[in-house]
Amino acid sequence: MSTAPAIATRGRWGALVRLFNANKTSWVGLILFAAIVLVALLAPLLTRHDPIAQDITRQLAGPSREHIFGTDEYGRDTWSRLIYGARISLAIGIASTLIAMLVGSAIGLIAGWRGGRLDAIVMQIMDALLAFPALILGLIVVAMLGPSTTNIILAIALTSIPPFARIARAPTIALKEREFVEACRALGLSEPRILLVHILPNIMAEILVMGSLWLANAIRTEASLAFIGLGIKPPTPTWGGMIRSGFENILDSAWLAVVPSVAILLVIFALNLLGDGLRDAVDPRLKNEA
Amino acid sequence: MIAFLVRRAALALVTGFSVLTLVFLIVRVLPGDPAQVVLGEFAGETALQALRHRLGLDQPLWAQYAQFIAGALTGDWGVSLVTGRPVIAEIMAVLPWTIELTVVSLALGALVGIPFGVLAAVHRNRALDYVTRIASLLGLSFPAFVSAVILLLALAIQLPWFPVISAQTGSVSAWFQSITLPAVSLGLIMAAYITRVTRSAMLEVLSEDYVRTARAKGMPWPIVVRRHALRNALIPIITVIGLFLGIQIGNSVLTEIVFNRPGLGKLIVGALNQRDYAMLQGMMVIYTLLVVFVNVLTDIAYGLVDPRVKLQ
Repeated sequence: MSTAPAIATRGRWGALVRLFNANKTSWVGLILFAAIVLVALLAPLLTRHDPIAQDITRQLAGPSREHIFGTDEYGRDTWSRLIYGARISLAIGIASTLIAMLVGSAIGLIAGWRGGRLDAIVMQIMDALLAFPALILGLIVVAMLGPSTTNIILAIALTSIPPFARIARAPTIALKEREFVEACRALGLSEPRILLVHILPNIMAEILVMGSLWLANAIRTEASLAFIGLGIKPPTPTWGGMIRSGFENILDSAWLAVVPSVAILLVIFALNLLGDGLRDAVDPRLKNEA
Repeated sequence: MIAFLVRRAALALVTGFSVLTLVFLIVRVLPGDPAQVVLGEFAGETALQALRHRLGLDQPLWAQYAQFIAGALTGDWGVSLVTGRPVIAEIMAVLPWTIELTVVSLALGALVGIPFGVLAAVHRNRALDYVTRIASLLGLSFPAFVSAVILLLALAIQLPWFPVISAQTGSVSAWFQSITLPAVSLGLIMAAYITRVTRSAMLEVLSEDYVRTARAKGMPWPIVVRRHALRNALIPIITVIGLFLGIQIGNSVLTEIVFNRPGLGKLIVGALNQRDYAMLQGMMVIYTLLVVFVNVLTDIAYGLVDPRVKLQ
């Protein structure tokens, strides 16, 4: 599998814009995702209600001017909980994806570079990790460690490492035979320097594209864990937790489950649009790895 | 074919062994004392010691590992800490429910996904293709519990066409009623996935020389698509279906919770809530076995679809 070296050689930003232009849906995804991030960042400005303040006089109130998405079983404003919950979903998703990206790419780079037995063993471990259902593994790890923010991030990161290792390894193997890498070796550059300065920039585009797709997956896993009851503890609002408690009141207050459901769907869809368009542009041959 | 299957089975053994080892290590390397987790913060030292002994946690790591692997192979997965019944019996009692759900949703996914994927590829860059691509990307974005909650809300509560709790048996119509919503909610994601993979596999095959040759010699287009293109595109489709099946076995946890349906998912969540450590170990083994089993099935499917595979 080769890379797209042209991307790295002609100005980073120009290349990025070209990548986006190759597939207009990436722009739609980017704008949608940016809007969601903005809403999460500006949450305190976008609501007058405290997301965890209870108001027993307004339990399960329907949508109104005061509470556009109504209130939950404790009289808490659903819109406030939604936009503060977005912060949790995004923060956990981004943190765990960054960790997986760093660790996974490092593993892939080193395994691909060294080759031989190390490569075989490491990739066997990655395959084993990939084979086990990720949600179940996350579930077991979080249950064992306890559902704190750090533990949830670590559990999700653990399950997302193998795809990054794979995506970094293949081009590293191809690149290490190229003339410019040989030249680096002839110049006596150290291995870490060759890997970080000369190989990494060439595979960065692929890693970032994978990152956007796995960010979608991380957000989905966090929400799934919270729905099962292994999310950040209440009263902190999380989307999965909101759907979980909304589901208990689904017969009379359906919006409580529907509103956060749509929010999760929207953010994952935005990231998938973004990543999918970019992936086609970066390397059309990766299309099969949905 | 026999030699091919034996080789593949040996490979599956290696996979199963490494997955089991990895899961064992991850669980054992995690900080925290399972005995403490099971008994709670205020447990006395004697009770902790006794439980550690019962779970074999007082033995060296290698001995625990040997015991874990031996148990996994012989089917002796210990006794549930909650019910006192053998773990394997508890698991086998609910396993058919999960397998039924995954198989029906896979069938749904393939029945919807393959035709749409072929249509999208054949009508590349036309309206049908765009709609299919966006719709499948949206379908792929559904967390399994969101699709389940929305279907339940729409078709069991707003329109009372299906039962809210789906675990009925007895007649065919009761079975159909109880499997439909869970299978559709899981199958929707599968269909989206299969559509995308089919489309890209078909696009690749449709640009091959032999497809052009078949057209040039005057073969009707539908036959070219079916016999020459789809048949060759099936290998990558089967590969990803196999991979995705593992994910879906995990996702069925969410579907089972929403529809209050018995299965591995409800069992593992119960085991986690009740800190049933012995049960959890058994669940890890069964999930590993399922994944390995799916791998073997995928290999057999390769052999059936493409005679060349057997010779490699």
